[in-house]
Amino acid sequence: MRYFLGVLLSLPLSLMLIGLLAAALPMPWQGWLVLQLIAAIVLWMLLALLVALPAKTWPPLIALVVGNLAAWLVLQATPLYGVGA
Amino acid sequence: MRRMIDLHAWLGMASGLALFVAFFAGAINVFHHELHHWQEPHFAEQAATPMGMDRLLERVTEQYPDARKRLYLLPDDDDPGVMWFESADSDWVTAHATDFNAEGVHEATPRSALADFINELHFALGIPNPGWPINIGMTFMGLISVMYGVALFSGLLIHWPKIRKEFFALKHEGNMRRYWKNLHNVIGIISFPFHLIMSVTGAAMGMFTVVAVLLGALVFGPQLRGVITEQTEVWSAVESQGNTVIMPRMGDVLSAARNELPELTVDWLEIRGYGDAAGWIDVAGSVPGYVGHHAHVVLDPTLGPLRVIAPGQRSLNFASLSPVYSLHFGDYGGLLVKLLYFLLGLLGSLLFVSGNILWCERRSDRTGPGRSSAFLLRLTLGVCAGVVIGVAFSFLVSKLLPHTPLSGLVALAERGVFAVILVLLVAWSLRASPLRFSSQMLRVAPFCYLSIPLLQTVLEGSHAWLEADNRLINLVLLAVAACLWVVRRQFRKRIRQAEPHPLWVGKVSEGDPRHLTDTEREADAVASDSAR
Repeated sequence: MRYFLGVLLSLPLSLMLIGLLAAALPMPWQGWLVLQLIAAIVLWMLLALLVALPAKTWPPLIALVVGNLAAWLVLQATPLYGVGA
Repeated sequence: MRRMIDLHAWLGMASGLALFVAFFAGAINVFHHELHHWQEPHFAEQAATPMGMDRLLERVTEQYPDARKRLYLLPDDDDPGVMWFESADSDWVTAHATDFNAEGVHEATPRSALADFINELHFALGIPNPGWPINIGMTFMGLISVMYGVALFSGLLIHWPKIRKEFFALKHEGNMRRYWKNLHNVIGIISFPFHLIMSVTGAAMGMFTVVAVLLGALVFGPQLRGVITEQTEVWSAVESQGNTVIMPRMGDVLSAARNELPELTVDWLEIRGYGDAAGWIDVAGSVPGYVGHHAHVVLDPTLGPLRVIAPGQRSLNFASLSPVYSLHFGDYGGLLVKLLYFLLGLLGSLLFVSGNILWCERRSDRTGPGRSSAFLLRLTLGVCAGVVIGVAFSFLVSKLLPHTPLSGLVALAERGVFAVILVLLVAWSLRASPLRFSSQMLRVAPFCYLSIPLLQTVLEGSHAWLEADNRLINLVLLAVAACLWVVRRQFRKRIRQAEPHPLWVGKVSEGDPRHLTDTEREADAVASDSAR
């Protein structure tokens, strides 16, 4: 269950982290969309692996939920959503 | 370390069976193009010379107006084909030049769909897509690829400290479990880069829809859809002004494309807006010598160049997308790379079987004898045997049925016989002794693959070996038979030399697994049975 939840919750976090990277880099995000997809997939795998490392079950899962919320909040401060197509 | 081993085992067990199917079908699917030629029946009395590409396009667009909107032309000297989306059927339709009668009317001819079936088995486990916006089987395999990637990284962390020692340690040391473990480790170490490529590219392709939807919802908003289309389409959609145009001859189209990109080898042509002045033609193919070898020359109906996409002349998105496909399909380095992918694909199948067996034995050792470990071991053996033998029977049916009055059922029979054999062998494996079941299946499987080229030789004579694609596929099938024979020999040898885990023999019930003497007795019986 822990591993399953870890895999599930890591996906949105990896996508939002790549989104933040796209917002931070001084190049149009549209120009490297495929690389973002590949990077998000690799990051998803690594996050799912990291969640399995701690001995206790709940702290890493709670950290993932908090990380997702934090990344979503930070994304709202970027000009990405619906802008610059 | 313990957590890593648990994670590796859990993910491996959850995804192992699906990955076995994907890798075994994928190893054969490396030769997808050649298999398309192999599956076409050859009769002693061949029909008259079929029409050429231009006449075929005229006939198809006359009889099927949907094809004028968008069609794919598959150039072939012997039998060119056209593929288009038929809105009445909500499905893609393929018509070959040989499907048209003397009056030029299309007669839907039942054809083998073996290559497509093996491909579907590879990327979607053969789960049909009823036209939903999301392909369930493909997305499921994408998720499996992600789990497989996590299992790979955890496997690397587990084995990195002792990698050199394990590389040379394919020994049984009087213990079958140790043999499975060493075999699993050696294959995993040797083929790690290949598996890393497969997991990342497989996940990228399989999870594309889910990732795109989530990226749109969480990060880029509704604009993302338009951006994906703009960044990955070779040219924009046709905006017809109602002006018609006489289409150029396809020979001229190919010459114009080669004029723009002399090193282009053509795979297919996409025609949007056939006969419309606003339409365009995409000549798609490869530029040899590059990993990301895919290339496109987009022309207008007057053969004026609109865009060239080729190595060194493309956007970063096209430059990153091309290697994702070519690294996954192994079509960037000629026959040698294809054969390497084929071999690594078969080794990958062995990696997943050995991983599942290890998991079952380890679980049984840790938690004591139980039905779940025994069930999972039997399920693993049943699915693996069912897939291997089922695929062989699909090949046999594909060759045999066109020569019988049931030739119209060939595509259905290829899938049906696979499903029936898979279900029967899984049911059998759940009842039989795993050791005996494995021994019997490994005895039968090589002969199944050996019989396919023999059957084709009997039915089609020297055509089975004189035509290059036929020869290659038949040699590949013989190689599968030889590999299964080697696995059988090793299996028998190990049974003779080392005691199998108690999970491999008898029923799991009260008092089981059986004690050592019973285990030894059954192992001896299987060994002497095999020696006969």
